[in-house]
Amino acid sequence: MQMLSGNPAVHTGKRKLSGGFRKNSFLYILILPSVILTFIFAYLPMPGILAAFKDYDLFRGLYASPWVGLKHIKEIFQVPELLNSILNTFQLSVLTILIGFPAPIILALLLNELKNGIFKRTVQTISYLPHFLSWISVVGIIYALFAPYGPVNDVRIMLLGENTERVMFLSKQNLFIPFVLLAGVWKEVGWGTIVYLAALTSIDPQLYEAAVMDGAGKIKQMIYITLPGIKVTAVILLIFNLGTLFKSNFELVYGLQNAYINYDVISTIVYTRGIQQGNISMAAALGFMEGLVAFVLTVVSNTISKKVSDIGIW
Amino acid sequence: MNTDTVSIKVFKVVNIAFLIIISAIMVFPYINVLANALNDGLDAARGGITLYPRVPTFENFRVLLSNSNIAKAAGISVSRLLLGTAFALIVQFSCAYVFTKKTLKWKNVLLIYLMIPMYFGGGLIPVYILYAKIHLLNNFLVYVLPVSFSLYNMVIIRTYLYTIPESLEESAKLDGANDMVVMLRIILPLSKPILATVGLWTAVSHWNDWTTTLYFVPTNSGLYTLQYILMKVLKESESITKLMQEASQNNLSISTNARKTVTPDTVKAAQIIITSLPIILVYPFLQKYFIKGVTLGAVKE
Repeated sequence: MQMLSGNPAVHTGKRKLSGGFRKNSFLYILILPSVILTFIFAYLPMPGILAAFKDYDLFRGLYASPWVGLKHIKEIFQVPELLNSILNTFQLSVLTILIGFPAPIILALLLNELKNGIFKRTVQTISYLPHFLSWISVVGIIYALFAPYGPVNDVRIMLLGENTERVMFLSKQNLFIPFVLLAGVWKEVGWGTIVYLAALTSIDPQLYEAAVMDGAGKIKQMIYITLPGIKVTAVILLIFNLGTLFKSNFELVYGLQNAYINYDVISTIVYTRGIQQGNISMAAALGFMEGLVAFVLTVVSNTISKKVSDIGIW
Repeated sequence: MNTDTVSIKVFKVVNIAFLIIISAIMVFPYINVLANALNDGLDAARGGITLYPRVPTFENFRVLLSNSNIAKAAGISVSRLLLGTAFALIVQFSCAYVFTKKTLKWKNVLLIYLMIPMYFGGGLIPVYILYAKIHLLNNFLVYVLPVSFSLYNMVIIRTYLYTIPESLEESAKLDGANDMVVMLRIILPLSKPILATVGLWTAVSHWNDWTTTLYFVPTNSGLYTLQYILMKVLKESESITKLMQEASQNNLSISTNARKTVTPDTVKAAQIIITSLPIILVYPFLQKYFIKGVTLGAVKE
């Protein structure tokens, strides 16, 4: 109200003297929720990692629980089940990257060959569908698809004859990893093309015209124009993937686990042993290792990428 | 077109055929589950259901929808989506608005403070220990509060706010508007597109989340969500048996009249449809908002 009556000169003069605090106090109030929420939910849990080096006792609390040093870290390397979960996590991460990283690039390149029109848009929209399902819905769909009386077994019987035995695919230990990989690619490959298609549209069409003039075929155009055009996007996504993979596979692995499957990754052990069975310290130690490996992987891949291609996320 | 060589023409045809197959692989499993969900249970157990129900019935859905736990879970899913999304947008928008201000002191310090948790986190167990201590376990607020601030979303909103011309704000100030009025009357209305984008994004992740319930709401069945119940139905055979028993007790007369049967498999299919259909129905019309989220993020990266 005061501002309305005062002329501009008086108004600026006032702000310099007393208005500065009032003006900024509104901004500080606005940012306060973010600061507090980050403090509570991102900073306050950090000391909890000490549980990995203590014998955590729910009733005594984190600080009163006795120190045990590296006991739980050592346990990880002595108990085969725990060590296996680390190896499995590593194995699954590498396989997921080998399949999940190139798949959307290939699909994007193929989609890019289509003229913009209703067919292209339809294929894209359909390929986004699985992305909007929850991981547990994807698990349910996989179960239905590969059930003894599901479509996959129906097709087998149609092709191989009436006497073919119906297979319980999801009870087979050796098919577990392929199922995890399949579900992951099915859910995210379509959605993953978006970023690459955006990168592809930013390539200067004149480059292609010039290449055609110089007599370059489709394959040469792809090697010398298209792939370099999406290189930055691809490398950045690869680095991000490497860092987050150790956290991302819980929903799928836990969802697909059943009584016949003996396959654990770090995150499923942390949940079942830690939260379900109350083995908090051991689970914290395993989680600590997980975070450490993910962090090291991100740093290493970023460093390599910077050396090789001068692209990095920091 | 006539410049195309034979090999390019062949490639184009093969490419279109391949993409049609890919599309079929993307959509068939969902349609098959839908067909099973709409099919009589014992009939579906013979196999051979493809794109449409052979013996159509709504019985599978009625088993689920008549169950008070499912209705309650739907209520929790919807309320955490609405409250969680609204709260997150308020927090993130306020924060983003502040970061567009040049006058703010300690801006870089604040940004680093908000960034550090992106790189260092304790993992699940430290979070669990904390929630146990501050009584967030088995508490509805565990759905809303922890995920309400997201640096990524905040940065995306801020990037958008930078595109609003500063002159708008200056002229409003000359007309006597204070910071609060400027934010609520000028910046907020102009930010609707980005808030829709981030809001939809947040809403879908709220709807699809089930691990929060698994980790932090283990014993309060009044706070279960639809996705969590789907997990229980899929993974625990006793859950589905119990659910079907309750249904047959509740509307025994209706079931016998209809002479339709339900089996665990068809009820599971119906539960998959119930938990996913709301999003599957709307995403084709809203996809531009979701896509904007991805491409904006890519630019920022």
